[in-house]
Amino acid sequence: MTAAVADRPAATATGTAIWWRNNRATALLLLAAAPALLFLLAFYLLPMMLLLAQSFEGGSLKAYEKALTDGLYVRVLIDTMLIAAYVSVICLALGYPVAYFLASTRPPWPTIGIIFVLLPFWTSILVRTYGWMILLGRNGIINRFLLDIGLLSDPLPLLNNLNGVLIGMVHVLLPYMVFPIYAVMRRVDPALIAAAEGLGAPGWQIFRRVYFPLTLPGVLAGVTLVYILSIGFFITPALLGGGKVIMIAVLIETQVRQFLNWGFAAALSAVLLAATLLVYVGLRRLFRSDLQWS
Amino acid sequence: MSKNQRLRTSVRAILAASAAVLLSASGGLAADPPKPAQIVVNDSGGAMQNAMKKAFYDEFEKRYGIKVVATSPVDLGKLRAMVQSGNVEWTVTEIGGQDAILAEESGLLAPLDLKIIDLSRYPKHTQNRKHVFPKGVYSTVMGYRTDVFKEGNRPQNWADFWNVQKFPGPRTMQNAPVDNLEFALIADGVPMDKLYPLDLDRAFKKLDQIKKHVAVWWTTGAQSAQVLIDKEAVLGTAWNGRYYVPISQGAPLKIEWNQGVMKESAFGIPKGAKDAYWGQKFLALVAEAKPQGVYANIIGYPGLNLDAINYTDEKLKPFLPTSPENFPKQFWTDLAWWKKNGPAVQERWQRWMLQK
Repeated sequence: MTAAVADRPAATATGTAIWWRNNRATALLLLAAAPALLFLLAFYLLPMMLLLAQSFEGGSLKAYEKALTDGLYVRVLIDTMLIAAYVSVICLALGYPVAYFLASTRPPWPTIGIIFVLLPFWTSILVRTYGWMILLGRNGIINRFLLDIGLLSDPLPLLNNLNGVLIGMVHVLLPYMVFPIYAVMRRVDPALIAAAEGLGAPGWQIFRRVYFPLTLPGVLAGVTLVYILSIGFFITPALLGGGKVIMIAVLIETQVRQFLNWGFAAALSAVLLAATLLVYVGLRRLFRSDLQWS
Repeated sequence: MSKNQRLRTSVRAILAASAAVLLSASGGLAADPPKPAQIVVNDSGGAMQNAMKKAFYDEFEKRYGIKVVATSPVDLGKLRAMVQSGNVEWTVTEIGGQDAILAEESGLLAPLDLKIIDLSRYPKHTQNRKHVFPKGVYSTVMGYRTDVFKEGNRPQNWADFWNVQKFPGPRTMQNAPVDNLEFALIADGVPMDKLYPLDLDRAFKKLDQIKKHVAVWWTTGAQSAQVLIDKEAVLGTAWNGRYYVPISQGAPLKIEWNQGVMKESAFGIPKGAKDAYWGQKFLALVAEAKPQGVYANIIGYPGLNLDAINYTDEKLKPFLPTSPENFPKQFWTDLAWWKKNGPAVQERWQRWMLQK
């Protein structure tokens, strides 16, 4: 944008002035954002382009053909997206009431609640994962307790399967769901709820037809964040799934580090990126129609 | 550290450095390239890094006055990225067993200078290495809980490992085809010296039998022993040092050496490494018998220098894959076979894992 300004010395003084008056805010904003944009360009976009370029090794689409037709990779990609969807739904079910609690209680409860949501967020993922292993194992604290009080005769299969992976991932990702929803809930005008009450709507109707639609932008942001972060998960599924839950990031890692097959790894990454973007666009569409209805 | 102590330490460092300079000058070694302030050695981290520091890094610093900065983890992908971009951060790096041949073939390693690194006291087949420095030996072995399998009723081979009637309880194995295919074939009756080329169909068919009894397919070395300590499994496989450390701390575990599979651990100098000369000097030190003995005493992984056994604790010998008692019970993995077939077999492994 600054370059565009410099390119216009030939324009008449009034023309420049008018352009400047109309676009000043945009130009200044862009200038302010320039460091971050340049950073992303140099350290994110450029390396990503270089990586993608490797997927066309020798100008062929072989790597893509394999990534898109080989049963193994297709199946793992679908599994990955399903797991991400489960995690998003569970996070939403658990996170929405928490956000509501934070947004509607009186001080000091919101502060205390936020600390509790944030605390695990500041702990290393690996530490938390090993913590879950101690809690959820066959001889873990939960199973030991349930066995000792005689509630169970056999330990629950909580670890080294999909259950363990979902528990671990939801724990890590819950704050990403709570905060966007919380931010939107705080902006909901209480007068609208009061108006609905005044017009005689029962509680459930108020929630379904007034409150929930108003918080949908937060839900969209939260679901999108959690879904997209879930898709790239690596260490949590590997450790809590006992090796039985395979996510696509694990297969990409094997190609990168073990076999130095970066072309194929790049193709898998590109397919994953495309699938993620598709889901993102789909989610936006879905929620947009709902938002219009509200 | 008090001011006084700090002063004393730095004075000592200066003295050591000047002594080293004097020594090399008087020794007529004027050909030595200038000394860097530090070199970077990349290893597997954790307990291994501590042992490396005590046995090799501290000795190198003392001898040459060059600081050794340790980094981790070992990462073939990162090595390739460094060499290709010409921005090599490591002076020396460890390389995983199967990765060494791939790294050598991909031209990621600088040649070893065998005039500096003395391999004359090494086993014959390791003496004429071009790029891959033979650091030591480790073995993937069977381990079990001694409170579950009591004296007189203990699994002794891979057929026993597969025998869930006689030795009931959840198992743990590495989440990779390497070693496991060999174990499956041995359990199915193939002798240790007739394994390669591996009969994949037969191996996977045998693995089908054990699959539902494997509670955990471990990913990291630390996990392999922890799973037994936590009783998630009672019988498993691991790299021998991973069992040695908890056993030496009193965990009720035991190693069965019979039919274990040995691999070489390797180090190399990345192509284009800064101060590569001092990398050669570092590997020369790692090749010496005495520090190898010190290293083995700490972590239970022996070096390949045949004289190192003279510096190794008597108590430790039952835990070394190279001890006269354990060595003949095991076999060597065929790195060349794995290098050639690794990617395809890995894919088949993943497919097999997805089957219910």
